[in-house]
Amino acid sequence: MTLTSQELEVLQERAKLIRREIVDVTGWSGGAHVGGSLSMVDILTVLYWKYMNIDPSRPDWEERDRFVLSKGHGGVGHAVVLAQRGYFDRKELREFNETDSMLGMHLDAHKVLGCEASTGSMGHGLSQAVGMALGARVLKKDWRVYCLVGDGESNEGSIWEAAMSAAHYKLDNLIVFLDRNHMMIDGPTEEVMSLEPLADKWRAFGFETVEVDGHDLVQLADAIEQALQHKGKPFMILCDTVKGKGVDYMEGNPGWHYGGLSTEQVEAAKRSIGE
Amino acid sequence: MTFSDEQLAGKIVLHAVLPVIKVLLEDDPAFKKSFEGLSGIVQFRAQDTDAPVGAYLVFDKGDFCVEQGIFEGKADLLFDFPSLKSMNDMFRGKPVLPRLGPLFKAIPSRFGLLLKTFKVLLAMKILMPNAQPKTPEKAYLKVKMSLYMVSTALSRMNKAGDPDMKAWTSKQPERIYQWSVEGSDIACYLKVKAGNTKAGRGVYTRRQPFVHMRFSSVDNALPVLSNSVDTVTAIAQGLLVNDGSPEYGGRVGDFMLRIAKLLS
Amino acid sequence: MSKTDSTFSWTIYDANTLSQREIYGIVLKDLGALHPEIVGLSADLAKSTKIGTFGDAYPDRFFNFGIAEQNMFGVSAGLARAGLIPFVSTFSAFASMRACEFLRTDVCYQNLNVKVIATHGGISFGSAGSTHHALEDFAIVRALPNLTVIVPADAIETAQAVKRSMDIDGPVYIRIGRGFEPAVYESEDYEFEIGKAIEMRSGSDLCIIATGNTVWHAVQAADILKEESDISARVLNMHTLKPLDEESILKALVDTRRLITVEDHSIINGLGSAVADVIAGSGKACAFTKLGIPDTFTPHGHPEDLMHNFKIDTDGIVEKVRELLNREFEETEDWEDEV
Repeated sequence: MTLTSQELEVLQERAKLIRREIVDVTGWSGGAHVGGSLSMVDILTVLYWKYMNIDPSRPDWEERDRFVLSKGHGGVGHAVVLAQRGYFDRKELREFNETDSMLGMHLDAHKVLGCEASTGSMGHGLSQAVGMALGARVLKKDWRVYCLVGDGESNEGSIWEAAMSAAHYKLDNLIVFLDRNHMMIDGPTEEVMSLEPLADKWRAFGFETVEVDGHDLVQLADAIEQALQHKGKPFMILCDTVKGKGVDYMEGNPGWHYGGLSTEQVEAAKRSIGE
Repeated sequence: MTFSDEQLAGKIVLHAVLPVIKVLLEDDPAFKKSFEGLSGIVQFRAQDTDAPVGAYLVFDKGDFCVEQGIFEGKADLLFDFPSLKSMNDMFRGKPVLPRLGPLFKAIPSRFGLLLKTFKVLLAMKILMPNAQPKTPEKAYLKVKMSLYMVSTALSRMNKAGDPDMKAWTSKQPERIYQWSVEGSDIACYLKVKAGNTKAGRGVYTRRQPFVHMRFSSVDNALPVLSNSVDTVTAIAQGLLVNDGSPEYGGRVGDFMLRIAKLLS
Repeated sequence: MSKTDSTFSWTIYDANTLSQREIYGIVLKDLGALHPEIVGLSADLAKSTKIGTFGDAYPDRFFNFGIAEQNMFGVSAGLARAGLIPFVSTFSAFASMRACEFLRTDVCYQNLNVKVIATHGGISFGSAGSTHHALEDFAIVRALPNLTVIVPADAIETAQAVKRSMDIDGPVYIRIGRGFEPAVYESEDYEFEIGKAIEMRSGSDLCIIATGNTVWHAVQAADILKEESDISARVLNMHTLKPLDEESILKALVDTRRLITVEDHSIINGLGSAVADVIAGSGKACAFTKLGIPDTFTPHGHPEDLMHNFKIDTDGIVEKVRELLNREFEETEDWEDEV
């Protein structure tokens, strides 16, 4: 058992707090990529509160693990995680989307402590993560690189170029999560541009691939443990998720890729997420 | 207009090989002395398919030049070849005896001219690929004569209308193909422009060369000019540097090889 | 005092005999000895771009990414983030277009210390045809913020550019040819400063502003014009397109009132347009012509021939200058062979 029951409870609470704050920020900012941020919360919770070797008071600490949000539109989710983890003052979230504020739709690495890459355009983050992992090897460092890619994002050829090169260079210090929430802007992924069999593809590209329920913290933890032990190949944790997870009226609904929330909708969402 | 190989070789002999006798006369102290003040006409004549072709050496009180064609008056010496091939063969180093005239009617001074001319022709053997110069002075002469000869030969081939050369020169804007040998004053060039060519001596100064083939030394030029080392190997070994367009430099190398084949 | 000065293993002889690309390979190899944080990246073009010279010397610091330029540029950003200094090399067409967004968003937007050596710029890869000709790269990269853009005139200047690029903590794009361009400089003994144009020839009748492989042609043209027609042409080697040396352009504008630009690039949005911006902004009138590739895709051919046909070589510049100055000339046409 990778998580004790106490650890599990702590993480579950944390995941709820993150979801609630994502909904809050979506509400007061006028709109955000709420669906795709909610689907990745559990992954980020397990990483930032259990596995990543980081020190929020020293964002430039050379030995830190790196996390790259390749699906950069999950910025609001990542911002809430970074704020709650202590990288910057939570009041910055109040200014989300405001002109010239620290936080906006796609996080700017120049401005946001804890943000390792300015992503937003699909298909860029994984390449950068590969570069970091390769850099760690050149510098003979032990820190790891975690990267989260989207399923719609996996339409991009550059994702596969990155995957190919990660396997070629046997980057076992690179652990990639795929937020398989089955939805993209124009509809379900399999209707817009089919990806299946997706796990097979990653395996074929040379990744050690496991499939988990992306909202089961224990499965996620087990997969990460497995990944940390694995040598010789980069690791893919394919997370089956639900877009809008936690908010009943958003779950599985492609319409909530991006949206604004009225005060009532925020309240309803938070009730659904629970205390 | 296409010419046979012998006809082309003949043109090269008459227009490009004979003239480099001048190098021997100017740069070899022995020859310089021997031909001092000398006058006379030495005619080379060969029977082509239709009509005789030839060129004659003009010695005028020590000055020297080559004129094309058959001398209007009476030549002091005549080298008469039954065919172009036999004339070309002599310059290829093959044993050929032209008919000589007016040898037996020669007066002593003409006999002197004959001897000296023979000596010069013998010395010209140094142009042969297998001829190994034994002194630095001879090496210098060989390289200079070879380069002067080849630059003129290229120009004559073009002027004669050789289809390959013409095709190559007609498409080009004004370009200078320069040869030089480092550590010496040996340099010559070929100016090309829209189908015209002109061989020149020395370094062309009015514009930068389009291709510059630099031999790293007189000694390093020898194997390249005698074709015992091909151009690519020569460049790899540092015997030769080709500045400028590698494609056009390569083409010039090809033409130079063709001339070497015609004369061997 | 530059942090990269030291003795290098190549000589001036090498510069005159090796191609531009080879000098850069050797210089990089030497830099690699001084700076262990330098790494090299290639997209299956290590031999053609000569970054392989660095790769052979430091196999542990050289990474081939295969024919996947977008990923290569994204990876370079990641490597820079990890604290290394990546030198990324591929053909200009691919660096500026195929990988454009990655150069822009991953490298420039994040202002990372990545050096791009874009080879085979303009029509220098003549035989390959339009697919490999980079006639738009100046237009694209000039518009990228944070990027320094250098277009060296020859092999020696490329060496200078590579070394000086290490002084900048940020992205640099160096665009060179295929490596057989004529040598402009005989030694490194001249002032090379990023952002400062170099006056190759002084003059007052007009100013020819050139960059990259056209600098040599501009200098030849100026010399021919001087000798044959007594025209006094100033020549500026505008090796840095960004930041542009506006001061030198304004000075040429005021001193000569006739400007000609020449580049192995489209006349749209390259050096010519950059200079035109300066002229327009100055409010001063002048005669102005841009020489470059017109708004057309280019055929295959020997690069020297293509340059001639598009009138960006010595002859083209001479012709254009004469046109600009409206003078007539007779050349002697003596075709007799010398003996």
